[in-house]
Amino acid sequence: MKDGRFRKLLDAILVPLLAVLSGLVLMGILILFLRKPLFESYAVLFANGFGCREYGNCIFITALERATPIILTGLSAVVAFRSGMFSIGQEGQYLLGAAAAAWLGYAIHLPPILHALVIILAAMLVGAGYGWIPGVLKVKLGVNELLATIMLNSIAALIVEYLVQFPMRADTSAVAHSPVIDESAQLMSFLPGSKWGVGFVIAVIAVVVVYYYLWRTKPGYEQRMAGQSRKFALFGGIPSDNSAVRAMLISGALAGLAGAIEVMGVHRRIMTGFSVGLGFDGLTSAILGQVHPIGVFIVAILFSGLKLGAQIGLQLKLDIPRELGGTIIGFIVLFVAAGKFYEQSIVRARAWSTRKQGSNLKGDSG
Amino acid sequence: MKDVPMTPAIEMKGITKYFASTQVRANEHVDFSVESGEVHALVGENGAGKTTLMNILYGLIKPDSGEIIIDSQKVQINHPDDAIRQGIGMVHQHFKLVPSFTVAQNILLGMEPSQAGFLNQQNENKLVDELARKFNLPVDPAARIWDLPVSMQQRVEILKVLERRAKILVLDEPTAVLTPQEVNELITVIRGLSKQGYTIIFITHKLIEVMSVADRVSVMRAGRMIGTKKVSETSIPELARMMVGREVLLRVKKKQVHPGEAVLDVRDISLSDVNGLAAISHVSFQVRKGEIVAIAGVSGNGQTELVEAISGMISLDGGEILFKGKSINEASVRERRELGMAHIPEDRMVVGLNLQTTLDENLIVSKYNRSEFSRYGFLLMQAISQFAEKVVKAFSIAAARPGEGIAMLSGGNLQKVVVGRELSGNPSFIIANQPTRGLDVGSIEFVHKTLVEERDKGAGVLLVSVELDEVMALSDRILVLYRGKIQGELETATATEEEVGILMAGGTLEDLKQYSEDKEQGENREVKS
Repeated sequence: MKDGRFRKLLDAILVPLLAVLSGLVLMGILILFLRKPLFESYAVLFANGFGCREYGNCIFITALERATPIILTGLSAVVAFRSGMFSIGQEGQYLLGAAAAAWLGYAIHLPPILHALVIILAAMLVGAGYGWIPGVLKVKLGVNELLATIMLNSIAALIVEYLVQFPMRADTSAVAHSPVIDESAQLMSFLPGSKWGVGFVIAVIAVVVVYYYLWRTKPGYEQRMAGQSRKFALFGGIPSDNSAVRAMLISGALAGLAGAIEVMGVHRRIMTGFSVGLGFDGLTSAILGQVHPIGVFIVAILFSGLKLGAQIGLQLKLDIPRELGGTIIGFIVLFVAAGKFYEQSIVRARAWSTRKQGSNLKGDSG
Repeated sequence: MKDVPMTPAIEMKGITKYFASTQVRANEHVDFSVESGEVHALVGENGAGKTTLMNILYGLIKPDSGEIIIDSQKVQINHPDDAIRQGIGMVHQHFKLVPSFTVAQNILLGMEPSQAGFLNQQNENKLVDELARKFNLPVDPAARIWDLPVSMQQRVEILKVLERRAKILVLDEPTAVLTPQEVNELITVIRGLSKQGYTIIFITHKLIEVMSVADRVSVMRAGRMIGTKKVSETSIPELARMMVGREVLLRVKKKQVHPGEAVLDVRDISLSDVNGLAAISHVSFQVRKGEIVAIAGVSGNGQTELVEAISGMISLDGGEILFKGKSINEASVRERRELGMAHIPEDRMVVGLNLQTTLDENLIVSKYNRSEFSRYGFLLMQAISQFAEKVVKAFSIAAARPGEGIAMLSGGNLQKVVVGRELSGNPSFIIANQPTRGLDVGSIEFVHKTLVEERDKGAGVLLVSVELDEVMALSDRILVLYRGKIQGELETATATEEEVGILMAGGTLEDLKQYSEDKEQGENREVKS
């Protein structure tokens, strides 16, 4: 029994692991092309992505901070994908959630904690509302959710840009930004000088909640069954249209939550160029993380670490362009997409080893 | 029985094939030999390894070991092209025709005679016409495939293989899609080809067909060749025992029927198919407690829509359905199931099961809402896995394990999962749509026995089947569906296969009477002259 479980886990992580390794090898080749020291590059990359410099001053903490919004947008994608909705609308829902949080942060004044709670709920509502649109369009009119969410992402980006440039603009500085949010609306951080804080705890809680929701509750079961086979759901009496819309509401709420936490815990305001593609990073980590909450959690931290290592390590110390970090991630995603190749190799390797182990295996019927 | 010349056309020796990905030994040291000019049936349960063996012969799969000898020469077959060069042709279970092309275009696909790079349609049609005449298999060369009935499409497939100069024809379950009349025609065609010197390998698991068409029969079980017999020296019970490895009840024993009041009352309903065309028009019938009512008919005559409407998956265009005396027109699938309706769908792979998830989650699909399995929105995981264990034990689904996936189970075991789910919880009405399609003798016996048990316990059963044998063996009453209407109703105890057959083909019982009278008169006249 134990053995089977271990093998299942191994099956789940083997392909992403091999993909990451292939990505790193390819990165080494690029570094050689740039005529930079190979092994030092790797060392610098990891030290500056995942290591600690001195007592408690850990860059890894920063990786965790950067991972927070990616975990949440990743969970957003997991909920949608598991329910059969190929929604890539996380970016738009994230932006609108962030805008709502930034506005409520300075426009209303409430005691601490309460203020933060109100903002978080409002941002989740906004995100859910923005997720509801493609959900209903799909169910009622058969509009492809992929196309709808692509368009809605652009619309959200433009709306937020307008809000920041005009109604929410704080001053006439060159870079448009909104006023700083009230202290009562800010999320606490754990260490001075770091922004790793309550937001990360919320993300961890969200990982657990999403897992339990999808695999241990009735609505989660309905969503997954309807997502895997609509005909099966129809046959069994599962209300699959409701499931799809509910999935989009939850997915939107999670992305909106990500936006709120990024505003309340990191930037304390919203500014032009707020979107740096965190919604898409979430999408990628969902796919690389085998569309599983735990997988998303691990991959989001890995991504943030690699990006940091490339940014402050490779660029500052070795003068290697920081875009390399993004390039590695791009490679890794490509290798995951080529996962069939790894799966076949694994199957072949297993077949070879079982044949070696003994050809006296008893035949069973197919 | 004609004499069979004793020269092997094909010999397969010691064929072994192990599928590493599924850890299945599909073929284990299989020896198989077919003599020139004979009709050789290859039978076995699903997963016995027949298709693997034939795919090896046709070059679609490479064996791990073993050799193939054709006309006393050892050959390497790595690709279907090699097989075709050796004179082997295969007619697959699922036809590989281009629906929008004509018959001639399909038969000559890839080998069209051309003049200076231009195709000549008339020339092609003439060629195919000659071919069809030569083999006495008339077809219209200019007809498009999508306009042809299934039996005609099969004929095109056979001609396609013959045009490629095949001397050995492999037919993979050719009768699965045909009506009884069409099966008889095909058997005539096979006999004709065999007389012209063609060798035919006939894969099937219907033993009646084996007895009526084959010269010899080879039986496989669990990847091994169990034996080869002359058809004249064996019997259906013996072959069934060889296939399953134990005694099989070929016809379930049934008690006298004692129907009670109507559980399902269908009143004048009309339905449309997915394209909005009329599929069922003004159909009425009843199913009473304790009886099995069969809907017989060739597939595509409205059965799918009828079943979907009764189970609540599509809505009615007109009419009313009463369940236990109350209208269920507005009831959802779930409400109907709560009222005691169970449904074994025709497509277990896509509709009846979700192959991507675990056994447990498949077993609760129609029940997860009940307080047994969920409370306050949370699933009761322990209760669910206990239920799964109970079903596995009660229906002896040998290979299934609670908590694990079902995608690797064989067709028979998958159907047991469906039947187990649908029949646990004492339903008062069961729709069984093609419940034994694609199943082997052992699994068919299980499904039939279970359905009869439910009937004896007082459930009403609506059996929808295109298998005449099944309809005759299982039902108490037969309704024949033809073009969306009920063509006739028969009591199974007094009905003959001929009567059901003529109704299935759209005729009436008067036609049959007329026909047999004519025949008798004709015979009398012959006697006189």
